[in-house]
Amino acid sequence: MSTYGVTGGGPVVHDPMTLPSDDNVNKYTFCVELKGSQWFLQKGKMIAYYGSIDFNGIGHGRLDRLVRTSFHSPLHASDWVVAEGSGKMLLADRAFDVNSYDLDEGNLTIRSGNLLAFQPSLSLKQSIVPGFLTLIGTGKFVAASNGPVVFMEPPIRVDPQALVGWADCPSPCHHYDHGYMTGLMGGLRAMTGLGGASGEEHQFEFVGAGTVLLQSSETLMAEQATGAVPHEPGVPGSGGAPGQHGQHGQQAGTPRLPGQLGDLQRRFGL
Amino acid sequence: MPFREINSKMIEATIAPGQRLFSQRGAMLAYKGEVSFTPNMQGGQGGIASMIGRRVAGEAAPLMTVEGSGTVLFGHGGHHVQVIELTGDTLYVEADRLLAFDGTLQQGTMFMGSQGGVMGMVRGQVTGQGLFTTTLKGRGSVAVMAHGGVIEVPITPQRPVHVDPQAYVAHHGDVRNKLSTALGWRDMVGRGSGEAFQLELSGSGAVYVQASEEKL
Repeated sequence: MSTYGVTGGGPVVHDPMTLPSDDNVNKYTFCVELKGSQWFLQKGKMIAYYGSIDFNGIGHGRLDRLVRTSFHSPLHASDWVVAEGSGKMLLADRAFDVNSYDLDEGNLTIRSGNLLAFQPSLSLKQSIVPGFLTLIGTGKFVAASNGPVVFMEPPIRVDPQALVGWADCPSPCHHYDHGYMTGLMGGLRAMTGLGGASGEEHQFEFVGAGTVLLQSSETLMAEQATGAVPHEPGVPGSGGAPGQHGQHGQQAGTPRLPGQLGDLQRRFGL
Repeated sequence: MPFREINSKMIEATIAPGQRLFSQRGAMLAYKGEVSFTPNMQGGQGGIASMIGRRVAGEAAPLMTVEGSGTVLFGHGGHHVQVIELTGDTLYVEADRLLAFDGTLQQGTMFMGSQGGVMGMVRGQVTGQGLFTTTLKGRGSVAVMAHGGVIEVPITPQRPVHVDPQAYVAHHGDVRNKLSTALGWRDMVGRGSGEAFQLELSGSGAVYVQASEEKL
């Protein structure tokens, strides 16, 4: 569907008939065809539409049943709308690459900021990993990524910022590389902060069977609040306030190393 | 070891025991196998003297040494990545544009004034390169970052190439460069064409130009 590399032609002009149905128009735009059906989409990601399409915020009384069956992230509902009607709708997100993925009785977990839209045949749930959402069932969804998405198979260790999501494999665990912190030079480095860190001390480690989705850069998209989890014993992350998850949480959550001078290093910006 | 381009913004490097490569800190995206990332205080090769040299020159990019066995994916900040194969000649590039390079390449620092004297220093200021630039010499691969896509423009003795200093990324080969100015009274009254400074490269080699005038 790419219009690049077409020699001699100007920009391709689309009309409602030539727009693809549920496919990419180009790398950065996705076209959804609605025939009386419904799609969930994140607020502000629709850039244009043909036909008659209604956009209703979730929480609209009429949509209660739909929300009950396929939207299980109640505190996150204000960021999503339901599109229904008939016509064609174009989705895009800040010139990021957009792609659609088909799930067939599967599950896929994705960074909340990267998910643009999904069919109601899928059900959306908050992942146990803060900042991520899990889609379960059969259907299509659209996700954005900074650069094309690369699929890798476990075992693999991934930089937290490069991770888009994962499918069918167990949730990742944290992996810390502190090998170079040992020995005399390592001790000095840990004590003084001189020499710095490689920036790669912390990764997400994936094992087992499945697929890991990576984006090719470390620039993150804005974190979408996934809503707070209930304050219950045994619920990970329930101590934190919403919005504190994701990158901030990671930095604050780095464990104190033995021999580190309290927060002195951080105060000096080392 | 060669870098494999996975897509325009991501490269894959295979590391075998005994080999090593240098990469910018924080540029690792993912890895398989047993690979270690060690912060490199010296900012590359050479002893303490070359480290001090780089610090003074402001060319001490935060690098890390990558060793072990496995495959590593590199990418940084959503920038486009260009892999350049060096076959014995010298690559001139700004240190913060380096994403990763072969450990066998010889790293050095060059004073801009040594090419073209005072005009070379002015050129460094205009291109945002400063007074010094990094050189890499030998046989191996270098991955260079650029804002927007990269175009390789060959330079032949008959055909010198003019480049916008802000779009200049790197060059290699036996190339002489000078800054040509086309300053006129229009520039003084603020009605210039906006292209008053141009980088003229002549000799034989290649220059890499990014499709953007934005710095990294």
